[in-house]
Amino acid sequence: MRRKEAPGRLTLTRAARLAAAVLLAAPALLFSADLTPQQQIESRLMCYCGCSDLTVRTCTCGTADGIREEIGSRLARGESPDQVVAAFIARYGAQIRSAPTKRGFDLLAWSTPYVALFAAGAALVLLVRRWGRGGRRAGAEPPPAAAEAPTSPADREIMKRIEREIREGR
Amino acid sequence: MPDFGTLCLLIALACTGWAVIASYNGWRARSGELILSAERAVYAAWALVALAVLSLEYCIFQDRFDVEYVASYSNRALPRLYKVAALWAGQSGSILFWLFILLSYAALVLLLNRRRNRLLMPIVTTTLSFVATFFLLLVNFMTRPFVRLAVAPPDGGGMNPQLQNPFMAIHPPCLYAGYVGLTVPFAFAIAALATGSLNETWFRTTRRFTILSWFILGTGILLGGWWAYVELGWGGYWAWDPVENASLIPWLTCTAFLHSVMIEERKKMLRVWNLALVIMSFELAILGTFITRSGVISSVHSFTKSDVGPVFAGFLGLSVLVSVGLLIYRLPDLKSENRLDSFVSRESTFLFNNLLLVGAAFAVLWGTLFPILSEAVRGVKITVGPPFFNEIMVPIAFGLITLAGICPIIAWRRATPRKLLERIQVPFWSLLGGALALILGGVRDVYAIVSFSLCVFVIATTVMEFYWGARARQKATGERALAALRSLVDRNKRRYGGFIVHMGVMLIIIGITGSSAFKQDRTASLKRGESFSVGPYTMRFEDMVSSPDPGAAAHHGDETPNQNSEFQGARLAVFRGGRPAGMLVPGQNFYSAGQTTSTEVDILHSLREDLYLILIGFDPREGRATLKAYLNPLINWIWIGGAVVIAGAWLAMLPDLRDRKREAESRLREAERNAA
Repeated sequence: MRRKEAPGRLTLTRAARLAAAVLLAAPALLFSADLTPQQQIESRLMCYCGCSDLTVRTCTCGTADGIREEIGSRLARGESPDQVVAAFIARYGAQIRSAPTKRGFDLLAWSTPYVALFAAGAALVLLVRRWGRGGRRAGAEPPPAAAEAPTSPADREIMKRIEREIREGR
Repeated sequence: MPDFGTLCLLIALACTGWAVIASYNGWRARSGELILSAERAVYAAWALVALAVLSLEYCIFQDRFDVEYVASYSNRALPRLYKVAALWAGQSGSILFWLFILLSYAALVLLLNRRRNRLLMPIVTTTLSFVATFFLLLVNFMTRPFVRLAVAPPDGGGMNPQLQNPFMAIHPPCLYAGYVGLTVPFAFAIAALATGSLNETWFRTTRRFTILSWFILGTGILLGGWWAYVELGWGGYWAWDPVENASLIPWLTCTAFLHSVMIEERKKMLRVWNLALVIMSFELAILGTFITRSGVISSVHSFTKSDVGPVFAGFLGLSVLVSVGLLIYRLPDLKSENRLDSFVSRESTFLFNNLLLVGAAFAVLWGTLFPILSEAVRGVKITVGPPFFNEIMVPIAFGLITLAGICPIIAWRRATPRKLLERIQVPFWSLLGGALALILGGVRDVYAIVSFSLCVFVIATTVMEFYWGARARQKATGERALAALRSLVDRNKRRYGGFIVHMGVMLIIIGITGSSAFKQDRTASLKRGESFSVGPYTMRFEDMVSSPDPGAAAHHGDETPNQNSEFQGARLAVFRGGRPAGMLVPGQNFYSAGQTTSTEVDILHSLREDLYLILIGFDPREGRATLKAYLNPLINWIWIGGAVVIAGAWLAMLPDLRDRKREAESRLREAERNAA
């Protein structure tokens, strides 16, 4: 017997609305614990000590200490974070930056994974739709009626589903 | 003994070379004798390489410093455990060890299949022997482990102090066993393509090897993380270093295969894709080795730059060419039915899971190789470090976690919205409840809230899957709850092993999120009696201690005593919320051999958080110790999650009744075919 949807019961639309509201509201309602300007700069620079592949923020060697001190004194002199980073790049080259910039050629580094992922995702959606049409056209196999039979008690349905899945080898 | 080792390697090369020729020609000419001879040659090569490994170990234990490798990576004072580990501390020794693991797998595969899969086995033997021949060529002619020195030094240079950690003794063998294990499914895939025997035999036969490789590689990655955490002294466990990335990439593609192969089993779909994934995983493992050993990308893990890079690149190119060529040649025979009953089905979620896993592997590979591209195109050397990978990978990881939660509650073939809603209720409310609890509990980091809530969602889904199954079985059979749960799991270990793996991965993600989003650190320079704080902890600097101080030695009990080093540490009394919580002794080890220093961190572990202390330096004139303290919340859940993943993978590998029945049927069919 089909159970009636209780007024307070979660429906797909309600669930989707609620999830969207939570996800959209969360960033506006919350704020993340920001790093201090000193820590931000430390995260943007790699330690060039040669003994690790760590940012200045995480490296514990003497070289990193020296860089941290210099960052502190430059900030104290009134330099902006970008100016401090630029000063280090001018001295040690672009390699000291911990991540590529989001401009010019370097933008490729950031965009390619997502472009590839979205392109492959779009292709996959098209494929799945086409395969879905193939499935419906073939129509040989009925939908898993037992699992969806409104008259079966929930427990029996679950048991049947699990039994079927086990039998079919998944 | 070095000459004996050299001789063994030369004969082993002849054996694998013969195995390649004999098994291939045996397959072409349908000659059982040649095929058998090739298989025996593989067993012989395994025994010979085992003898070479023992010879090198003998040289290391006997302090034969006339052998260049021993002089470079061992010394008289090196503890016994690390003398064993010295085998893989350098380039040539590690390639020899790699080769030994490969031939062990090969011998095991031949032994297990001596009466099965006879159609595939000649090409499996050819492929495994070909890969082994490549490595034997390396150890015989390019990076030889038994090279003699004209004059033997009185003592060796010793092992890098940072490698002298018990976890480092286990981590490389695990990684190698994981990487090399991927050769087995690759060999079966190549055999299926070459012979045209493209039915399910190849992946059913290698399923356990694939899970085993996946789980050993994963364990190796985790152990590496633990080693970095306790040994490197920067308070973290993963730095997105190129060599770390190289181990993660094939693990991701292998994970994709373990999911997508289920669609092939059920729907006879994705046959090309599954073969491509297996080939990809193997090639990426070789690429990882190339990155580690060629010096093309700078990394703390890299072996000294050597000339094996181009040879690896050549081998990689050749194997890609052959595999892809075979795949293209067989494309007409690999047509699958390609039918899905519904867009909303478990099959679809698996496809998107594959998209994200392979997308993640591509993103990591792209970031790792981008510096080379930048230098080649613009002539500018750049760094692609942790901020890039964190930013790129977090959204992909969220997508994967969401799918891991949705997948089990969506039925195979077709799910109706009503049923989906029914099954999603508990997990969904858990997700919302978790998010709300975090917000009310004062968590303000959006990423952390999303990550924790999604983990709660997946855990709830998985727990409900066990609960529903056990309850339904209990009602159907009248068994007690625990007995019902046990028999449910027992009847399909693979399914429920997989669910346990999902739970373990969620615990790992909880640990990663907690230790990344809420990490705190503080640096202080203290005189005796002075204190500093991080989070709820206050640390008071008591005094300096040095070995052979028993307190200091006992405190670093995880380290094997090493007469060649001298320890100096700062003793600190730790208080949590004003109450005594223990005594920590972070310090430094000074190694007389090589005049090097290694950081010896000290950690106060708890399920809630770790207090991680590093002694940065000590100024004896002023009596000041410079210390850095990290507070790493939830970090131990990473290691607990790892143990859960291992347990789940182990369960999934165990045979169940269904497998044994299928195996018996398959043997019967093969016997009937042979009789006909």
